Amino acid sequence: MNIHFVIIMLYFNLEGGMELYVTLSIVLPWIVAFVIYLAKNDFVTNVLSLLMLPVLGYFAWEVYFSGNVMLIDTPHWVDYAITIYDFGLLGYFLYQGIKNKSMLVSALAILQLVLLIIVILMIEHSNTANIYVDKLTVFMYMIVAIVGVPIAIFATKYMEYDEKGKHSFVAILIWFLGVMNFAVSVNNIEWFFALFETTTLASYVLIRFRMDEQAVKNAILALWMNQIGGVAILFALLTFLKTSGMYHFTDILNADSKVVPLAALGFLSLSALVKGAQMPFHKWLLGAMVAPTPVSSILHSATMVKIAPYLLLRISPVIKGTLLAKLLIITTGFVFVAAAVIALTQDNFKKILAYSTISLLGLMMLAAVVGTPIAITASLLLILFHAFAKGFLFIEAGVLEKVFHVKYIKQMRRLIERAPLTLMFIFFGFLNMTFVPFGTFIGKWIMIEEASGFLSHGSYVLLILYVGAGSAFLSVLYMKVLGISVRKSHGIERVRALPLPVRFNFVSIWYYVWLLAMTVFIAPFIATQIVPIAQELSGQMPNIHADHLSLVINTSTLYFWQILGALVILSLIHALPFFVHFKNVDTAKPYNCGEAFPRHIETYNFVCISKYENYLIAFSIALFVMVLVLGGGLL
Amino acid sequence: MKFETLMLLLTLFAPIIGGFVYGVERIVKARMQSRVGPPLMQPFYDFFKLMDKRPLMVHSLHAVMGIMYFIACWFSLLVLFLGNDLLVAVFFHVIAVLALTIGAFSVRSPYSVIGAMRELMHMISYEPLMVLMVVGFYQVVGSFNLKDILNYDGIPLLQLPVVFVAFVLAIPMMLHKSPFDVAEAHQEIIGGPEIEYSGPFYEAVYTGKWIEYVYVFFFVFLFGGSHYWLGALLVLFVFLFVNALDNATARLDFRRMVKFSWFVLIPISAFNIIFLALWR
Repeated sequence: MNIHFVIIMLYFNLEGGMELYVTLSIVLPWIVAFVIYLAKNDFVTNVLSLLMLPVLGYFAWEVYFSGNVMLIDTPHWVDYAITIYDFGLLGYFLYQGIKNKSMLVSALAILQLVLLIIVILMIEHSNTANIYVDKLTVFMYMIVAIVGVPIAIFATKYMEYDEKGKHSFVAILIWFLGVMNFAVSVNNIEWFFALFETTTLASYVLIRFRMDEQAVKNAILALWMNQIGGVAILFALLTFLKTSGMYHFTDILNADSKVVPLAALGFLSLSALVKGAQMPFHKWLLGAMVAPTPVSSILHSATMVKIAPYLLLRISPVIKGTLLAKLLIITTGFVFVAAAVIALTQDNFKKILAYSTISLLGLMMLAAVVGTPIAITASLLLILFHAFAKGFLFIEAGVLEKVFHVKYIKQMRRLIERAPLTLMFIFFGFLNMTFVPFGTFIGKWIMIEEASGFLSHGSYVLLILYVGAGSAFLSVLYMKVLGISVRKSHGIERVRALPLPVRFNFVSIWYYVWLLAMTVFIAPFIATQIVPIAQELSGQMPNIHADHLSLVINTSTLYFWQILGALVILSLIHALPFFVHFKNVDTAKPYNCGEAFPRHIETYNFVCISKYENYLIAFSIALFVMVLVLGGGLL
Repeated sequence: MKFETLMLLLTLFAPIIGGFVYGVERIVKARMQSRVGPPLMQPFYDFFKLMDKRPLMVHSLHAVMGIMYFIACWFSLLVLFLGNDLLVAVFFHVIAVLALTIGAFSVRSPYSVIGAMRELMHMISYEPLMVLMVVGFYQVVGSFNLKDILNYDGIPLLQLPVVFVAFVLAIPMMLHKSPFDVAEAHQEIIGGPEIEYSGPFYEAVYTGKWIEYVYVFFFVFLFGGSHYWLGALLVLFVFLFVNALDNATARLDFRRMVKFSWFVLIPISAFNIIFLALWR
């Protein structure tokens, strides 16, 4: 079958060129998913998911190196097909709502149906192409290929541990990647709505995968919350159609800023906030953890939530500097800090990771709406490194769950003796989320530097406070979790490395090596790969360049010796303890003031904060309404 | 002498400078309590004594983390002196905290673990403030570069008076001085993170603390801009003030510390910076 594809590819290569690779990036995962679903054969599933890695990577690579912006016209029938698909999708949601007796789901589905009909009645034919592939799109393709596909490979092994339905599960994961590739390439907002709702469908199916009571409940929650995002997109579409008749991203970006209605942009941002699981809509992402772990992994890293910063990056040139942008900064920044604070109170490992995703998504969106070239670079960096680190961490969470039967951080006690390798990977993932030379840190750093330049508006001082405070809270969170897992009993060295399955190790090492390589060469990497994307999005060249291996931003430099020094120190901290044993040193028991040794030592659970959780959520609702009413200019 | 050479020498000799600062501090404190106090060289005598002791450890990870704390502290000082971005130096300091807390968490001793948690509370209290202070410097000088701040003609202190006050009040949090010595709290948790270190390994942690003196007081020095005499005066004044405060106050609960930082120090510094931005 693969030979077949190669032949088709070679044939089209002469004809279609880059457009073919774009089409294949979108369509191939759908086909492969279908094949896996039909074949239900171990060999087919494993081989095809493994093959997706080089194949999708190659397509993204080819599109990337063609380098030009592509507007691809689609045949007219695709329009109709997507409209029909829309109705089918919403009909399915309605059916699910009725079947599961959820008023909210059915009501929102009906509302969307009505709005969709109005949209279709109002929409006029436009000659703008429906597929738009620029550097940002290819960037997302790359993330899907490099970060997303390994998760499917991981899932092929994961699902063999007493889980049912391996083949359909892997098929849905791969299909999800295709949906994501499609969603980031559409130009037509009506199509974007269809894809937006398809990701909702995919997450619904995945969250519900185990089909127990809790899973179905959480899936329904995810369904109605994400449908609110869909409603917001439809409202945005209606406003666009009513005021200017434009419904393509490129048209909106090229139009005079006076023509573009702020209300519509406000609605689009709202859908991003919902998709990005920003408080008060964060519950659906937390609920996703009842599903098999690869689901969390794929939702948090390569797909689904990344649509949110993607959408805001798309529209960032038009909302930059408006009141809407400032309100969005305040809202997302608040979520960045609040989610980090709430994460401190959690004791479920996956929940902690989920809260930190919510938190960092807030930061990505914040950077995206600030919209200056450097801020956009920061946002892109955060998207990329967060995808890698979170994919990595959730993979390790899956390993912990299946091999070591650890779900809560309480059970992570003395993990260093039971699972040294996995703990080392988790350690590295956490370091990536906040410490010095890694991409997430650089995102935060250049965000603060950038915001320092225009402090005259209060929201920007708030921004700096948010970034400083949020990163401090996140560091505390990670150090706390790591601290629990490195706890050792005195003197006893009982390190038993359990052999892990090959596919688990392959995926872990894949992420590890990528993260390490990107961090060492971070300066040239940012300057040559990320900066051009930011330049294309914002229309200006960000003042970032690489001086050999040192990173220069405006007047500040992150020297290579600093990057390397921090990397060496952190590598020593996260890896050395597993290998170094002082031979000639006597050991002693810890001082305990003459008391009996406690069997377990608890750590702070920050219960004093969980009292305020509801206040934090209430405040975020207020901010949300403020974005809608003031930012969207509804008053 | 060239700037870089000077800074490199300063970094190299930082443990010794820090040791002297600590020696002076012990004398000053003693005099404040009408005692004679130890000789100036006492920290170094301690150093040699500790190096001579039989090395004892709880387990290797813990011992390694003590050494890593020292290295990370020293390196963050190097970044502060030789890098050109203050903000990066602030974030480098977190690595030192990471090593210290991971080490402290890794032993099964309640004092050490409580100390580590409290150490994290210290970080929550002072880190956002440090970021704000550096942003304040940027507002005044127009650059994050250390050289530009040291060559700035005006006096940053006059434009950042509130930030300065807030930072001076945060110094006890960074150096573990009363009333904010909650992580060490000798009468309560017997030194917290450092309790389980002994011999050469304790020496590493101990010397790391000396380096932190240099690190923190250098930020005070920056408030003088290019008027180095003013910077030196400020350092002297702050040094005496912090020690007087250390002597005169009782320890507060860690919640008070976090609240004080978050509800008093950070808001007032933020206002300082907002007004500075508005009036320029």
